[in-house]
Amino acid sequence: MKIYLVIPAYNEAKRIDNLLESLKGVNLPVILVDDGSFDKTFQLAKKYPVTVLRHKVNLGKGAALKTGCEAAILLGASAVILMDSDGQHKASDLPKFVGKISMETYDVVFGSRNLNIGVPLVRYIGNKIESVLISLLYGIYISDPICGFRAMTKKAYQKMKLESAGYDIETEMVIKTKHFGFKYCEVPVETVYYDKFKGVTILDALGIFTNILKWKIFK
Amino acid sequence: MILGLQVIALVFALVMIYFAYLHYRRGEINGLEILFWLTAWMGAIFIAIFPEAFRAFSATIAVNRAFDLAMIGAFILVIPTVYVSYIRTKRIEKKIEDLVRKESLKPLDELQKNRKST
Repeated sequence: MKIYLVIPAYNEAKRIDNLLESLKGVNLPVILVDDGSFDKTFQLAKKYPVTVLRHKVNLGKGAALKTGCEAAILLGASAVILMDSDGQHKASDLPKFVGKISMETYDVVFGSRNLNIGVPLVRYIGNKIESVLISLLYGIYISDPICGFRAMTKKAYQKMKLESAGYDIETEMVIKTKHFGFKYCEVPVETVYYDKFKGVTILDALGIFTNILKWKIFK
Repeated sequence: MILGLQVIALVFALVMIYFAYLHYRRGEINGLEILFWLTAWMGAIFIAIFPEAFRAFSATIAVNRAFDLAMIGAFILVIPTVYVSYIRTKRIEKKIEDLVRKESLKPLDELQKNRKST
């Protein structure tokens, strides 16, 4: 099974070197999508033996993930692992995803952070509310529905036809996993928060909650 | 007090007519659209100058206060305008996303084509 690692990145010049260095020992082809960064993310990533693509304007995490997944499929991937570029995910957790997705038992593998350690309280509460809301409305409980560390097969990606361009893409994946009846599992992953100003903001969270309700009503 | 409000409404409507005309001259709105906005703002000017006529009209359609009818009219105008703007924004967002993503995948497409041809 040919598995690609897809990394969306936006203004991560400070951390991209560390991340790509940590991936050197990993035997997976990497596609990094620079989502219109205005710092040196693109130039720095170019120094590494990874496929680097660039959005000319910033579109959002979802759009960058879709570009990365489509590029992986173009290059012959049969599965993709999605990973954040801010260094909060560890390369040491990759074998867990490779192991699960290679078994061909699961279509989607969700990373699940230990939310009791090191996760800011507001994020912890928001995450739990979202898990419960998705569970009540859609009948699928994922303990960490917004964790960006996950894997899916080409078949699952193509069937999902993801529409979101922003942070709501992770929630959309969870909901569509249930909708299409994909087999899924969760694997525990380690997380370190470096920057409390990046990532999902309260406004993003409100948008995600609105979408959870909207998708239920209109789809 | 009424005269003050009338003057404000009149000035506002005239400014809006100027903006509509400006956008028409720049080619940003077409003849039909300028006609629509001119009619709407001329209507507003007429109401500002002759509120009594408007009051009589509102009474005939069973709306007690002329101000209530003005508010209803404003909502009827504003809500569809906001809705149309929302839909158009969504459509433009989608087009930009598709365009930018397609553009970013071009190097890979070309690479694939070259591989196939060799």
